[in-house]
Amino acid sequence: RINSDGKPAKFQPPPKPVIIDKQKQREERRFLSPEFIPPRGRTDPLKFYIERKDMIQRRKVFNIPEFYVGSVLAVTTANPYANEKASRFVGICIQRGGKGLGATFVLRNVIEDQGVEICYELYNPRIQAIEVLKLEKRLDDNLMYLRDALPEYSTFDMNMKPVSRLDHEEIPVNKLQVRMKPKPWSKRWERPKYNIKGIKFELPEKKMKEAQKWSQPWLEFDMLREYDTSKIEEKIWKEVSEELKK
Amino acid sequence: MMPIWTKSGKKHAVTLLKVQDCHVLRYISKEESGGKTSKLLVGGKNVSPFSKSESAMEIFKEAGVPRKQKVTVFNVTDDAIIKPGTPLYAAHFRPGQFVDVTAKTIGKGFQGVMKRWGFKGQPASHGQTKTHRRPGAISTNKAAKVYRGKKMPGKMGNIYRTSFGLKVWRINTKHDIIYVNGSVPGHTNCLVKVKDSKLPTYKDCNKNPPFPTFFADGDEKLPEDLYDDEIFQFTDPPVTYA
Repeated sequence: RINSDGKPAKFQPPPKPVIIDKQKQREERRFLSPEFIPPRGRTDPLKFYIERKDMIQRRKVFNIPEFYVGSVLAVTTANPYANEKASRFVGICIQRGGKGLGATFVLRNVIEDQGVEICYELYNPRIQAIEVLKLEKRLDDNLMYLRDALPEYSTFDMNMKPVSRLDHEEIPVNKLQVRMKPKPWSKRWERPKYNIKGIKFELPEKKMKEAQKWSQPWLEFDMLREYDTSKIEEKIWKEVSEELKK
Repeated sequence: MMPIWTKSGKKHAVTLLKVQDCHVLRYISKEESGGKTSKLLVGGKNVSPFSKSESAMEIFKEAGVPRKQKVTVFNVTDDAIIKPGTPLYAAHFRPGQFVDVTAKTIGKGFQGVMKRWGFKGQPASHGQTKTHRRPGAISTNKAAKVYRGKKMPGKMGNIYRTSFGLKVWRINTKHDIIYVNGSVPGHTNCLVKVKDSKLPTYKDCNKNPPFPTFFADGDEKLPEDLYDDEIFQFTDPPVTYA
């Protein structure tokens, strides 16, 4: 090629292609089930190590999917008194409790105008299958206030179809503000102790101000209550993912 | 404590006990001890040898073993005598055996009569003057004295107690851990004495125990985990009722 000057043009290399590595994007999101994180206490770490080995053994045989409080799950358990020896329950996960092999989750649904809550153990051998029908997070870690909310917020169809979602997307946070039944409630959810963000309080201003009397603003600065789990989580995540890949 | 599931789907709670550096320290013959059987002194956890006098350390020096935190006595028959200095492992017990566990209970300090002996106390209102958790009457009029052993407030806990007839569900030979059914006296990480059960219902329970004990350098090569027949192992498929 010859320029207009008559000299040969300097070689311009083609622009570098931008490669978007989708696998790396996916790996950046790590999920460690909360029952793997050991609680703060004076127990020997060997006990947690052995419990984790058992939990990993169970997870190799039976798939426990990733889910959060607020996602809709369907659980089939072996039941000797049911017709087909297996009973299926669909509900929204309102609470995840327990650590280690005794980890539990509570599913809530309203069947024929009767609210039903069932507490399942994650590592119980009678559970045949856990399917996540809708994976999402809510504004709170504990949705116990759904007991005092209008029943429409806890009803889910028993034959609900699983909502499809792409793998690399972030988990959607449902910023739903729930409307409550008239007071009295089972607990005083307006008090700052529960720190609930997912309720649309229709109480008068006076009541809300009175509830703030029980606030403990020094709690967030209390250093003895701090439990930094980031390093423990990383170690356990590495251990668990290596074991599960084998 | 951990949950454990059986093959029929039932859940049981299980305590983990770790066998930490146990060695046989001395053999005391029947005539020496003056009892009905001969005794074996067994020592537990290893601790530093520097804070005790030389005379106390003699037992450990004879056996050739580091200083132990706890030394207990086991009554043994003559055919079960072990040479001092042999280490004892968790594989001494087998799953399906029944076991008694002794330990010092958690100390609660000086406690009142309601917590210590379970008295009902008095009502909270309806005219009670300064009397809500008191013992009330301590004896009758005719007795004209207080009997010995009357339940009264005092130091509670920090005494040796035993839970009898606990089933051994599982044994981990690699880390020397015994999984024992139910709860065990004592706080977490406390020292505990495990013996074969003395209850008459479990007299013939041990089918083929390692006798006199399990020797690590012997010919038997045990797998890492020994399970009882009824335990649901996590490698099995989920439980179904056909």
